[in-house]
Parts: sequence; C-alpha cells; structure tokens
Amino acid sequence: MIDTQQMQSLAARMTEAEVKGRSPWADARRRFRRNKAAMISLVVLILVALFAIFGNSIAAWSNEEMDFEVMGNAATMGMPSFANGHYFGTDDLGRDLFSRTVQGTQVSLMVGLIGAGIAVIVGTLYGATAGYVGGRTDAIMMRTVDILLAIPYMFVLILLLVIFGRSMSMLFLGIGLISWLEMSRIVRGQTLSLKNREFIEAARATGVPGWKIIIRHIVPNLLGVVAVYATLLVPLMILSESFISFLGLGVQEPLTSWGALISEGAGTMNYGTLWQLIFPLFFFCITLFAFFFVGDGLRDALDPKDR
Amino acid sequence: MFGFILRRLAVAIPTLLLLIVLSFLLMHAAPGGPFTQERALPPQIIANLNAKYGLDEPLWRQIVNYVWGIVAHFDFGPSFVYPDRTVNQIIAAGFPVTLTYGGIAFVAAVVVGVSLGVTAAIRQNTWVDYLAVGTSIGAQVLPNFVMAPILVLVFTLWLGWLPGGGWGGPIFWIMPVVALSTSFMASIARITRSSMLEVLGSNHIRTARAKGLSESKVILRHALKPALLPVISYLGPAFVTMITGSVVVDIYFSTGGIGRSFVDSALNRDYAVMMGITILVGALTILFSLVVDVLYAWIDPKIRY
Repeated sequence: MIDTQQMQSLAARMTEAEVKGRSPWADARRRFRRNKAAMISLVVLILVALFAIFGNSIAAWSNEEMDFEVMGNAATMGMPSFANGHYFGTDDLGRDLFSRTVQGTQVSLMVGLIGAGIAVIVGTLYGATAGYVGGRTDAIMMRTVDILLAIPYMFVLILLLVIFGRSMSMLFLGIGLISWLEMSRIVRGQTLSLKNREFIEAARATGVPGWKIIIRHIVPNLLGVVAVYATLLVPLMILSESFISFLGLGVQEPLTSWGALISEGAGTMNYGTLWQLIFPLFFFCITLFAFFFVGDGLRDALDPKDR
Repeated sequence: MFGFILRRLAVAIPTLLLLIVLSFLLMHAAPGGPFTQERALPPQIIANLNAKYGLDEPLWRQIVNYVWGIVAHFDFGPSFVYPDRTVNQIIAAGFPVTLTYGGIAFVAAVVVGVSLGVTAAIRQNTWVDYLAVGTSIGAQVLPNFVMAPILVLVFTLWLGWLPGGGWGGPIFWIMPVVALSTSFMASIARITRSSMLEVLGSNHIRTARAKGLSESKVILRHALKPALLPVISYLGPAFVTMITGSVVVDIYFSTGGIGRSFVDSALNRDYAVMMGITILVGALTILFSLVVDVLYAWIDPKIRY
C-alpha cells in the first residue's frame, strides 16, 4: 500500500527551495544510514539478490532433473537434508527445491524490477509531459489515466494472458501496461510545482526547446519521488505476478516463480511436506518486507518530517 | 451536488463503454475461434454455428449487438463452451456467494480497521499502538493467497475447528472473510492511525479541548470526521483489490463465487464468460468509485463541486 498523502508531502518537500549548506542528498544519505530497519533490509535485499545470482552454483541438482529415488515419495524421502544435496528438500516430482527456489527468485525479482522499470520510464515521461505542457493536452492525458485506472486490471491482465498465450513477455507487457498509471499522476503533480520555478523560466527564456527542458531540467528534479515510488512499486509488481501464478495463469513450467512455488506448496501441505510451502514463502515474505522498509526508509530520509 | 454526480457519470459511462468495446475487440483478436477444436469441424457446421451466435455479421454490427444486449437487456449472451448455459446464468449462480462474503469482509475490514487505528492513535506508544502497527506491517506481506493456505493449515488441518472449503452456513464464511479482509483491515488501521495523529495535533482539537469538552466528544465529534477522509479515498482501490482477491478465495475455499467461474473460463477459453465477468466487475468498480467520490464530497467541506 502506497500512502498517497505521504507521497504528496514528499513531492512538496523535493520541490522546496534548497537551503545553503549540505546538499539534500548528502543529508538523506546520512539519515538513511541511521535508520536501522532500512539498513538491515538493504542487506537482506543484497543477500536475496546474491542468492538469485549465485544460488545455482551452490545447488547440487539442477532445477529440471528429477531425483528418481525420491519421486512419488516426497513426504518420507524428500525432506531437506545435506546428505543427498537437497538443501530445501524436493517437490512432489522429485525436483530439487533449492534450485527451484533460486529460479523462482530470479523470475520474481525480474518481474518486479522490469515492471517498476517500465513504470519509471513511461510514467515519468508521461507525467512530466502532461504537467509541463498543461492545458488541454494535460486534461486529455490525465483523463485517459483516470479511465485506465478504473478498469479492473487483474481481470484484464488475465484476459490478455489467456487470449495472447501465456509467456514471459506477455506477462511483462501486461504488468508494465498498468504499473505506470499512478506514477504518472505523482510525477505530473510535482512537475506542476516545478514548472514555475526560476530555473525553468530561465531555460525557457534562453530558448531551450520544451522536450529538452523536460529531459534536462524537470526529470532530474523528480528523482527523489521517482526513486521512492519505484522502490515501493517493486513489491507490488511481485505481488501481482505471484497472484497470477498462484492461480496457475502466470509463468509456465519449467519456469517457476514464488507465486507458483507457494501454490504448489500450499496444494501439497496436507501430505506432510510443509517445507515445500515454507521455503518459497520465507523468501517471498522477507523480500517484500525488505522492499517496503527500504522504500519507507528512503522516503523518511528524503522527507524528514516527524511522523 | 446533483451537477457533480452528473459530471462524474459523464466520465463513468464512456469508461464502461470503452471497457466493453475493448474486451470485445480483444476477444475478436484472439487466435482461433470459439469453435476451434482439435478435430476440425466441417465448414458447413462452423458456418451454422457462426450464424447461430451472430459471428457471421460484420464486426461493427457484432459490437453494437453485444453492447446493446448488455445495456438494454442486461444480457451477456450465451457461453461458448457450455451451449445450454448463458453467461447470465453462470454469473447469477456465483454472484450472491461473492457478494455475501465480500460484503461481510468489506464491512469487517472498515469497522475493525478504523477502531484499531483510532485506538492506536489515542494510545500512542502503548502496547495497543505497537500491536496495531506490528500487525499492519505483517499483513502487508501476507496477501490473501498466502493467508488462505496458512488459515487452512492451522484451523482445518491442525485444530480441526473449521471446514476447509465449501459453502453453507455461517461457519463456512469465517475463513473466506478473514483471508480476504486481513490485509485491508491492516491498511485501513495504518491510514486511520497516521491521519488521526495528524488531526489530533491540529488547532481545532486544541480549541475543542480548551473549551472543556470531554475526551470522547473531542474524538467522536471533532477528530473522527476529518481523520476518516484518507480512509474514504482508500476505499475505492480497496474495493478493486478485494474483488480481485475474491478469485483466490473462490479457488482456495471452493466457495463457488464468480472468481471460480472466471478462472475456469480462463482455462477453458470461454471468452463470453470472461468478458461478462470482467465487464460486471468493471461496472461495479466504476459505480463504487462514484459512491466514494460523492461520499468524500459530502464529508469534506473544502471540496467545491
């Protein structure tokens, strides 16, 4: 959940005139380092990323081969052990859960980062353009966003996935299509308040073309808001993808993601194979937690209003 | 006020039409028709089927027919996979169920969330406050599709208190409602707490206290109304997410709501049912955000409409 009020307050703070002395960025860095929860979360995120990148070189089994000794017997023989190399146990088909979790982490993180990336690029440019140009263009552009936001996107996303086939690129496209809407609203709001500042006026007076003012003068000043919002957006993207994969409509085998693994684990938990649920769930929860804390920490560091 | 509602409707109706046309075009663009099967049917049968469902007419005609059917007769047409059932029948079978647990979950989330948030704000930095803040952070990473398996594991498999699925008397409602409402309850509690804290520090509350009002009167009469504004603006997005979450509830607890029909039709490629449900949900969302806007304008004296 992203609190719009706090985002607006942050936006207001980022457009305030700078006071002489330390730059706001240096200030923010110092405040962020003092925030224990955010720093720990950052370490957790780095560890999860390392797990996703290097996990496969530790794994004793690949994510596709089946351990035929365990297959069909996961409840009694597939439990986590170091002896047979299944550190996290196996799933019902005898596949190694450790390497499956590594793969799921890679896919989920990628979905989160790419979704947030699309939101950053499209949302920033769209919002900055609407806010800077203003007038009728602005009204039409923002009304379009209003209309798109009123559509139940999860249903449309599933419709898209069913009609055009379930593939990674379709998933990215679908998640990217909706992720930028809120971002463009926030960016527009801040652009409106930046627009009338002296340095923009100076740029306009010296004849800098409009698109160049947006890219060179507006966008860099949006960085704080965009960074915070993007950090808070990553877990939301991961949640969306996991939701679809949980329903069995997301990524397809042999690919997997946290949502798909949680769904599998939840389906077999009656048979005493709890580890199939717990390991993916653990990574899912700590990563979401960490992203939320880092995002909150970033916001507090950039907007040190006492809450 | 009347003009304000009219102006909002002027946006809502084109949005809905756009949603209908868009999903129709999406369906039309899908590779393969609704009658594509592994064993190719003779062309004559295909032609007859197309004629029966009106698929042989030009595209604009089909769109007009479809939109007209929905707007004038509330008729979403026949299901493509089950020839003996219409989309209306499928929706009518599941919708009351979704409405029952969805409605209860929504009311529970608002009532419990607001009370928790207000209590946490009044007793700031006590155990109530820490409990409220702690659960709201925890619930953020426990979405409904994680809550549902955990609830079943604890209350059905370990304790054996509640049925793990199905639909019947109130005992079947408990777990769907809890799974659906927890994260909203937490979000609402968090929003209420922070806005209540802000309101409690404002000048008009100091005035109210200074003139000797009782604490309960200060909270209920002067602080609650402005503190609820952010909560009301959150209700719109909450409604959308909740209706999306009902899909998980339907799948996991086999409650038989429209979420189940939606996922089944997605797996069967029954486009007519998918479109029908998407449009229904879209219409509900638009209607609900309209209600929220009107409510907001009514409560907040600063809004001029």
